[in-house]
Amino acid sequence: MATRADVIEDFGHVSRTVGTVFRYLLLAATLFGIVALAVLLIYVANDAIQPLTADPGWHLTFFLTLVVPTLAVGGYLLRTDPASARFGAAVVGLLAVSTMFAGGAAMIFVDIVEPVTWFGYVLALTLALAAVVVIERFDRRLPFLARFAAAGAAIVGSLAVIPGFVQSLPVYPTDGIMLTLALGAPVALAVGRYAAAGAGRRGTALSVLTGVAVVGSGAVLGPLLAIGAVPATVLLSVAVVPTAGYAAGTVRRNADRRPGLAFTGVVLGGTILGAVAVDALGFAGPQSWVDWGFLTSAHSGTAADAGLYPAIGGSILLMATVAALSFPLGVGAAVYLEEYAPDNRFTRFIDVNISNLAGVPSVVYGLLGLGVFVTYLGQPTGTVLIGGATLALLILPIVIISAREALRSVPDEMRQASYGMGATRWQTIKNVVLPRAFPGILTGTILALGRAIGETAPLIMIGAPNVLFSLPTGLSSKVSAMPLQVYAWASLFASEPFYQAAVPAGVVVLLIVLLSMNSVAIVLRNKYQNQQ
Amino acid sequence: MTDSQEYASGESTDDPTSDDMSIETDVSESVSSSPTMHSNTVVSAENVDVWYNDEQALQDITLDIPENQVTAMIGPSGCGKSTFLRCINRMNDLIDAARVEGDLYLRGKNVYDDDVDPVALRRRVGMVFQSPNPFPKSIYDNVAYGLKIQNKEGDYDDIVEESLKRAALWDEVKDQLDQSGLELSGGQQQRLCIARAIAPDPEVILMDEPASALDPVATSQIEDLITELAEEYTVVIVTHNMQQAARISNKTAVFLTGGELVEFDDTEKIFENPESQRVEDYITGKFG
Repeated sequence: MATRADVIEDFGHVSRTVGTVFRYLLLAATLFGIVALAVLLIYVANDAIQPLTADPGWHLTFFLTLVVPTLAVGGYLLRTDPASARFGAAVVGLLAVSTMFAGGAAMIFVDIVEPVTWFGYVLALTLALAAVVVIERFDRRLPFLARFAAAGAAIVGSLAVIPGFVQSLPVYPTDGIMLTLALGAPVALAVGRYAAAGAGRRGTALSVLTGVAVVGSGAVLGPLLAIGAVPATVLLSVAVVPTAGYAAGTVRRNADRRPGLAFTGVVLGGTILGAVAVDALGFAGPQSWVDWGFLTSAHSGTAADAGLYPAIGGSILLMATVAALSFPLGVGAAVYLEEYAPDNRFTRFIDVNISNLAGVPSVVYGLLGLGVFVTYLGQPTGTVLIGGATLALLILPIVIISAREALRSVPDEMRQASYGMGATRWQTIKNVVLPRAFPGILTGTILALGRAIGETAPLIMIGAPNVLFSLPTGLSSKVSAMPLQVYAWASLFASEPFYQAAVPAGVVVLLIVLLSMNSVAIVLRNKYQNQQ
Repeated sequence: MTDSQEYASGESTDDPTSDDMSIETDVSESVSSSPTMHSNTVVSAENVDVWYNDEQALQDITLDIPENQVTAMIGPSGCGKSTFLRCINRMNDLIDAARVEGDLYLRGKNVYDDDVDPVALRRRVGMVFQSPNPFPKSIYDNVAYGLKIQNKEGDYDDIVEESLKRAALWDEVKDQLDQSGLELSGGQQQRLCIARAIAPDPEVILMDEPASALDPVATSQIEDLITELAEEYTVVIVTHNMQQAARISNKTAVFLTGGELVEFDDTEKIFENPESQRVEDYITGKFG
């Protein structure tokens, strides 16, 4: 000790060369991925939308009416009030995504499910639900099995009788009114309750009624604006009312977020103003391949006339089938494995196999679907049901794994607390574990659906037709899907115009659908994380 | 399930504090002979052993926990005091490796009898855990949880209000019953957990180091609350804080390493004049 100097001259240096090299290598890897993706997206989007074919005046007009005000207001808000800025952007995003979903829903109600059928089933479900509530309220002393049987009978009976009865009526209301009641009213009920939460019964009733009235106006406004009563009603109930309800509810609860609405107003106003201005000034827009015609027409031999409409509808129907099959099966398996199954060699064996199944190539699942459903069960090839079942098998392991992850993230203290209160395992799972894990389960399922929507190989294997000229109308009709249609354009109809026009346009539509599904999952996940 | 309902409903009409439910054991007779010292025995352990796999966590525990008093369990980490607490409401059943032997009576009924449904048992025993663990539900739903799952009769609004008042939380949350229980501070969350535990009116309240995750102010609030609760409930509390045990408990059990109950007596006696040298060493801080 005594030999040490009293004053330290220099601490010396520790080499960081390796660390620095490592850090920049990682940065390079990250940048490579991002840049490659960005270049690919820009390349495809440029081919599909062709922004450079527009008049310079068109660009200038939108630059002045939309881009400049948006940047100015958005930048100002971000500096002074980031929470409001995020809120404003969320409203714009919600409107954009929900408008897209409204397009899909409108497609269903125009071409697949008659509004009267939908009305019949919603009415049947409502009546059945009311019957179940009455049974539960009326006598809790009835044995569980009796209540269960009565509730089951009410649901099955109502579903079996009422839709047929409604359809056999000689006169029924117009499509717009039926959709307002069967689609708009439930949406308005949910949105109104959210918007007026804590405002008392009168406030809630008022906001629900407002929602119904807005949806109802679609039946009048639709024909006036030349988009038809049904699409207008769907658009109002799926996109406009939820967005407005979200904005109104948030502003009512957090008055200081109000400036965010300015951002929303600038974006919407700028878009409308720009559209009116370019129309009035006669500037031509870009000759985009993704246009109204592409979205609403079927395949054609000439690239310029080819459209994606039947494939979009097919993808929607496939996704509905896949979700209906894989969600209950996957979540059920996950809950069993996570909450009930003992930890032994057999369950560990199953664990490993589920993980392996998640990595099996999709073409193998296609073969499985062909072998099981078509060859063994003798189903016709290429139907919505077969395609949906095959894709559901494909994503089932992913759904199980992500649902288990969500269940595992529920802290064990919650379960302990519930058991400590004298809850049974079923009560604990129903009241504590599932509500807490549900957003995570939903996020995982949506991301898995995102994988299913982009699959081509299984659909080819089960014999889905490459080209379809009309929307599938039921579970047993032939189905095509967006990636299959794009594949057909790129292989069967391979020619310069298809490569340059239809293929990129199809890819862009597919990507937009995929990204908006994922954005829903991301929003859910963020909301979930904030709550913890 | 039917057994549990019978067990739960068959006796729920009885007044839980009525004397005819007390058991005729040596202890309760000796209690009746010296009424100034003790009231009735609520929980009575006889030769309880607990193993985790092959490792013995509790050795031959015998003790009687009196009614409407605070009984503290103290001892160094790993001495088995929490394990004993979890024997009372059979939470150890949830751990596959745990095995319990011996007899443990709750108001005269051996909770390890074959016909006892642990779920029905836990409905009569409230439990508060080490770290506050309210459900991610509203404050109201947290307190009403036990009532709902047990299908209790009565006006839930009144019971929730009464429980929150007893847990000294009502004044702070009465305007925000719809708010999530997770938005409260740590001390408030723990009082919410206490309100949740007392809402179904249990026979005993078990507390597993209820203040160890809290700051001194919240700790002192919880301690005051425990003292008040003991007027109506039998409280068993595990703590590693000896001063806390000395402040709030009427009786103290000292567990030492190896899962041994070294001494169990009135708190004053334990802290002022313990029989065992080891207990004195532990209390005066010579080890542990």
